[in-house]
Amino acid sequence: MSNDHDSHAVVLPAPGPEFLPHTVAHHFDTSEQEFQAAKLGFWLFLATEILLFGGLFAAYFYFHENYPETFKRGGAQLNWILGALNTTVLLISSWTMAMGVRSAQTSQKRKMLLYLGLTALGAVTFLVVKFFEYKAKYDHGLMPGRFFTDEHGLMGDVPFAPQFFSIYFTATGLHGLHVLVGLCLILWIIKGGARGRFHANYYLPVDLVGLYWHLVDLIWIFLFPLLYLVP
Amino acid sequence: MSAPPKAHATHGAAAAATGHDSEHPHHIASAALFLRVLIALLILTGITVGSSRIDFGGANMLISMVIACIKASLVIAIFMHVWWDTAINKIFFLGSFLFLSLLFTFTLADYATRGRDEQMHRIKAPVDKQWVHLPVTGKQEH
Repeated sequence: MSNDHDSHAVVLPAPGPEFLPHTVAHHFDTSEQEFQAAKLGFWLFLATEILLFGGLFAAYFYFHENYPETFKRGGAQLNWILGALNTTVLLISSWTMAMGVRSAQTSQKRKMLLYLGLTALGAVTFLVVKFFEYKAKYDHGLMPGRFFTDEHGLMGDVPFAPQFFSIYFTATGLHGLHVLVGLCLILWIIKGGARGRFHANYYLPVDLVGLYWHLVDLIWIFLFPLLYLVP
Repeated sequence: MSAPPKAHATHGAAAAATGHDSEHPHHIASAALFLRVLIALLILTGITVGSSRIDFGGANMLISMVIACIKASLVIAIFMHVWWDTAINKIFFLGSFLFLSLLFTFTLADYATRGRDEQMHRIKAPVDKQWVHLPVTGKQEH
């Protein structure tokens, strides 16, 4: 029987001297079972992420429909050039991540590390740009809820002006947190990749971190036009 | 989006679904395809920015969301490999959008059937009085 305790573990061989073999966790019969189980679990997690952000998008649409002029004016306070720059950075980093996963699938260690390094660089760039955007909003008192002071009267007298910035900071803050988590995960993958853990026979963690990173990109694809170019 | 190049269909998806191929059970997309998707995503971003500068009235929201959905579909299908993924994974992930549509449908239904803007400023409970079967005290009027 395959679940006999005496049966030795399934080991996936390293495809070259620069790689490490992978031992399949003992509760799986095959590497394919391990791969598909982890993948299904991760897709389920990503589904909950979609619903988490979905609540924020529903709030956005609700308030936008009620107070379109507030949102138009609020969106005009954001720097759309920096927003477009960050969109481009995330799209390119999503591409480098896809190429990184591909390099892992084809056992190209140096290429994988290069692409993952570029992806991490994209994450850092995004966060730095975001920091300067937040700082500009803070300087103008364009803050969420009761922290809203609007020292320069940028929002005029539109109704519920703090509401726009509550949604802006909650949505982009939660997204920024995901970028930060994604950055840490990518660095973790680079560390393991440098040791040779990931190759054609075993690249599951690279694949899953890649999916996470693409989700971060996916959410920004909607946040950018809704917040910076308020329709 | 054009159909994925020929080689893809035979290599991964079918083998992964049956679990027979133990050597290379998973699909590897071509680097050229990834590059084409990136270029398409960047062009679509340009179109999003461009279209936002032109006033189409109420259609602006629709246009920007349609473009965003096309971009999202490209990322999901190609970058996230969902196009070649197993049926169960597709159902799990794409199913979340079904639940998302429930959230949006009921939220918008609520919006569409509530009191309008100017009334919402004045009353605490934005429900039409004719639907409230309690004695109306008039307390909520200032």
